[in-house]
Amino acid sequence: MSDATHSAPHKPTSRSLHAVDARTKRRNASESRFKAMGIGAIGIGIAFLVLLLSTIVMNGSSAFQQTFINVPVYLDPAKIDKKGNRDLADLKKATTFTYAPLIQNGLLDVVKKAGIETDLSKAKELKNLISASAASQVRDRVLADPSLIGQTIDFKILASSRVDGYLKGRVKRADIAQDKNISVAQLDLTDALREAGVIHKGFNSAFIFGADASDSRAEQAGIGVSMLGSFYMMLVVLALALPIGVAASIYLEEFAAKNRFTDLIEVNISNLAAVPSIVFGILGLSVFIQFAHLPQSAPLVGGLVLTLMTLPTIIISTRAALKAVPPSIRDAALGVGASKMQSVFHHVLPLAMPGILTGTIIGLAQALGETAPLLLIGMVGYVATNTPDGFVDGFVSPNSAMPAQIYEWAKRADPAFYERAWGGIIILLVFLLSMNIIAIILRRKFERRW
Amino acid sequence: MNDMTLTERAVNATDNKITARNVQVYYGESHAIKDVDVDILDKTVTAFIGPSGCGKSTFLRCLNRMNDTIDICRVQGEILLDSEDIYDRRVDPVQLRAKVGMVFQKPNPFPKSIYDNVAYGPKIHGLTRNRTELDEVVEASLRKAALWNEVKDRLTAPGTGLSGGQQQRLCIARAIATSPEVLLMDEPCSALDPIATAQVEELIDELRTNFSVVIVTHSMQQAARVSQKTAFFHLGNLVEYDDTDKIFTNPTDPRTESYITGRIG
Amino acid sequence: MPVFWIFVIVLALTGAGFVMGRSRALSSVDGDRRRLHSLPSYAGALVAMSAFLPALVLFVLLLALNATGMILTVATLLATLIGLALSLRLVSPEFRARNAVETGVRGLLIAAASVAILTTVGIVLSLIFNTVEFFNLYPIKEFFFGLNWTPSFGGGSELGMLPLLWGTLYISFIALLVAVPIGLYAAVYLSEYASHPVRSAIKPLLEILAGIPTIVYGLFALLTVGPFLMSIFGPNGPTAAIAENGWMHAGTAVMTAGLVMGIMLIPFVSSLSDDIINAVPQSLRDGSYGLGATKSETIKQVILPAALPGIVGAILLAASRAIGETMIVVLGAGAAARLSLNPFDAMTTVTAKIVSQLTGDADFASPEALVAFSLAMTLFVITLGLNIFALWIVRKYREQYE
Repeated sequence: MSDATHSAPHKPTSRSLHAVDARTKRRNASESRFKAMGIGAIGIGIAFLVLLLSTIVMNGSSAFQQTFINVPVYLDPAKIDKKGNRDLADLKKATTFTYAPLIQNGLLDVVKKAGIETDLSKAKELKNLISASAASQVRDRVLADPSLIGQTIDFKILASSRVDGYLKGRVKRADIAQDKNISVAQLDLTDALREAGVIHKGFNSAFIFGADASDSRAEQAGIGVSMLGSFYMMLVVLALALPIGVAASIYLEEFAAKNRFTDLIEVNISNLAAVPSIVFGILGLSVFIQFAHLPQSAPLVGGLVLTLMTLPTIIISTRAALKAVPPSIRDAALGVGASKMQSVFHHVLPLAMPGILTGTIIGLAQALGETAPLLLIGMVGYVATNTPDGFVDGFVSPNSAMPAQIYEWAKRADPAFYERAWGGIIILLVFLLSMNIIAIILRRKFERRW
Repeated sequence: MNDMTLTERAVNATDNKITARNVQVYYGESHAIKDVDVDILDKTVTAFIGPSGCGKSTFLRCLNRMNDTIDICRVQGEILLDSEDIYDRRVDPVQLRAKVGMVFQKPNPFPKSIYDNVAYGPKIHGLTRNRTELDEVVEASLRKAALWNEVKDRLTAPGTGLSGGQQQRLCIARAIATSPEVLLMDEPCSALDPIATAQVEELIDELRTNFSVVIVTHSMQQAARVSQKTAFFHLGNLVEYDDTDKIFTNPTDPRTESYITGRIG
Repeated sequence: MPVFWIFVIVLALTGAGFVMGRSRALSSVDGDRRRLHSLPSYAGALVAMSAFLPALVLFVLLLALNATGMILTVATLLATLIGLALSLRLVSPEFRARNAVETGVRGLLIAAASVAILTTVGIVLSLIFNTVEFFNLYPIKEFFFGLNWTPSFGGGSELGMLPLLWGTLYISFIALLVAVPIGLYAAVYLSEYASHPVRSAIKPLLEILAGIPTIVYGLFALLTVGPFLMSIFGPNGPTAAIAENGWMHAGTAVMTAGLVMGIMLIPFVSSLSDDIINAVPQSLRDGSYGLGATKSETIKQVILPAALPGIVGAILLAASRAIGETMIVVLGAGAAARLSLNPFDAMTTVTAKIVSQLTGDADFASPEALVAFSLAMTLFVITLGLNIFALWIVRKYREQYE
């Protein structure tokens, strides 16, 4: 620092502005470094987002495809209807164990007809290609229409999850040495049948609309029933959280005097917003199930717990919406002789409605994705196989919910369920995305600037 | 650090410090400053007066390129500081602002100690070699800002704890600590009470011995009291620029006369 | 479905009450509504409210007392009819029906606002009762200071909380190590450097990360991040040359859960810090730029020190979020309680154990199940303390610039 300016700072000297000095260069370099760090941080954040979304799509999209086998099944009266009287009660005695060999025989016929060479000469050895669900599919069809017995009917049945995984690239030949559920010969046959067009992939509507299946039938598992469970829970949340949340906000924003009671409510709301969701699960377990004896695993209980969880979110956004309505509107209503209550319900509330709805939708979206409290009130571990009969039953009969179903699949031992879990996430995210888009559109369309 | 280009120039009170020619400023679509030409002298207090929204503050902020921090603002024309164009591509606004300091309308001390507030400029520009020198600069600046006696015992107290007038003098001390050549003041007294205003005005008069001072004010009395030259702005135009006495006693332009007699404003 | 039908009948009576009240008010003044104190529909609303509300309260009370069948039906319907008849008699031209209705509505509003208090009371009571019961079965000292967590439903379990607390804090620490620098730099860039269009494009993108349900992050940890870390730090990875067998022995580990939780918290930290940085007055920036400071000097020496208390508050809120997070640790952190320093070891957390002790066919009276409530109580107290402290800091900070 031999600069004259530095030793005598106040002496009027002048340095050309057009030459950038070394110190400024250093400072500018550090400026660029700092800025680069900021861009880097944002880049990392966005990269994580892209990674997360692409992982979901890559792993989950295959759940929307499923492998099917076209099999003509001879419905042998000698096996199905031993008495020969087509009586429904007697027909029901024939279990799926009776039907499974019929399907295997049918498939063996196909193999022979197509002239495929294989070491698998017995029908039983084809068992691993066929889903365990196929037998009940055929049986249900027969019970629905006993006149089919004795005919050969074309069925489109599910392939087993190993075959499905093989076609999707999840099951590899190198890995199946230890696998009891599939052999190399069976995979060879699968390849041949695929070329013959007998085994083919198709759109998996059963995944979206169907029910969950037991541990051993990954190929049959669907998210439809738990979607209904989520739907009923959201109905409960909407029916309770919206009116209670709006009423509480109106009280706090428009009527409440500044006193200790109001303070207590305020403190409670802001703290409830930050209580871990698992604690709400504990609340649901001990108050709704142990104390009030509401049914376990019921969407009603799930909905109640999620209502309490969502309330703070809805109250906070509703209060913001009410606050955004300028006082002049209230004054105008009071000025023409309306009561305080009338000014709020006739003028302030309608004006705040778009904001309230936006907040409610975002609260619902949050509730839809919440898992932890549902674990404690028994919505996991329950295999959601039955669609509820009727509206009331939808609330009280045991069910799962979408995120709980995804968790359930993630826990199962068979990796075939992982694909289902990722696929379930795609569906869940589609719901969340559409809810958020609706909220954004609402906000854009009705947003008012005062 | 011997690689720097140093040019020493002699300066006296009749030199032009800043020369502005044909300056235009746009905020997005709106044309905020139109064709302004002005010569600002060294060792002189120049006042910019005019009604609210006339562009006087905008023009002031052009002189140290503070307008660069506003995205939609564009400046055209030529502004020379010691005959160097400050809007030249080679000019780093950081270096420029060390030479052209600024004091704002509202006192804005940093939430740091009084000492750190004043030492901030010298530190970032690397103007001192060691702590002793820095102490000297801080003391000298506080003395020049007529604040030393009031704060010398509590230099480590937060600057935000001072009274309004003290805060503004602290900001002036902070601005002169980087030994600028020009000091821009944007309505420096508008947030102060009459006593604090008087103190700051007195200070401005003293600063004239070392700096070229440009002050924006909406108080005509203040302009008359502190300045030697006055520029009257109206609707983005520089209407009249002359000796302060002349402007207030015998203005050429009828608009200036209307303003100082209180008919527009 | 008797409950359903009771509900329908009460609703029908309520509707009828509205019509009757309204017409009674009108007929009391021979159809000249100008002579009424309140609009006729207020009289209707009052009758409807008096029919419905007492019946609802009674119904819920009876349900809570486990009344069923006949008693429930008769009592509820009777309450409806009495409410209806009594209020109908009140209706007259001078009767201030609007004021009465508004008082009732006000009561409803207060009741709705009290739900927040009731929820807190419910949480605290359900935690306290079960915690007390647990401490009757298991020594309190061993729970808080025990170093071993080996529950077995056959008896003889050791239920020390410390390994769980250690796992929780370790994972949260790693999560904050990821989220705080990234979130803070992102917030600084977005609020100080980014132009308006860039900001309005990037901000929502980052916030998508906050809107993704935690189950998704859990799955991501379990199936993607875990195996990826395994391939680097596991026994077959490149680091196996440094440490024998590698550092990592299973995909589920502190690092897995911590990393993923960190990603989840990035938008949380960045949007909170963004708000706080924006609350620093522009005049401070102007002051610094006016002295010739560069942007980064202004940020580092003026804005961040000014915003520091607020940012500390934001980090504490993020920490509380991390401590209470469940799904990511249930799926990503492992099940073994362990006191270890190796971040690649599987460890477990308070929340994960609450889930595992309360799901399945546990006997709710056993200490192994009840311990979950004490764990939840600990969690509740820790997060509540952090939140109150953080909100207090943030509020103090905001007051400073108002």
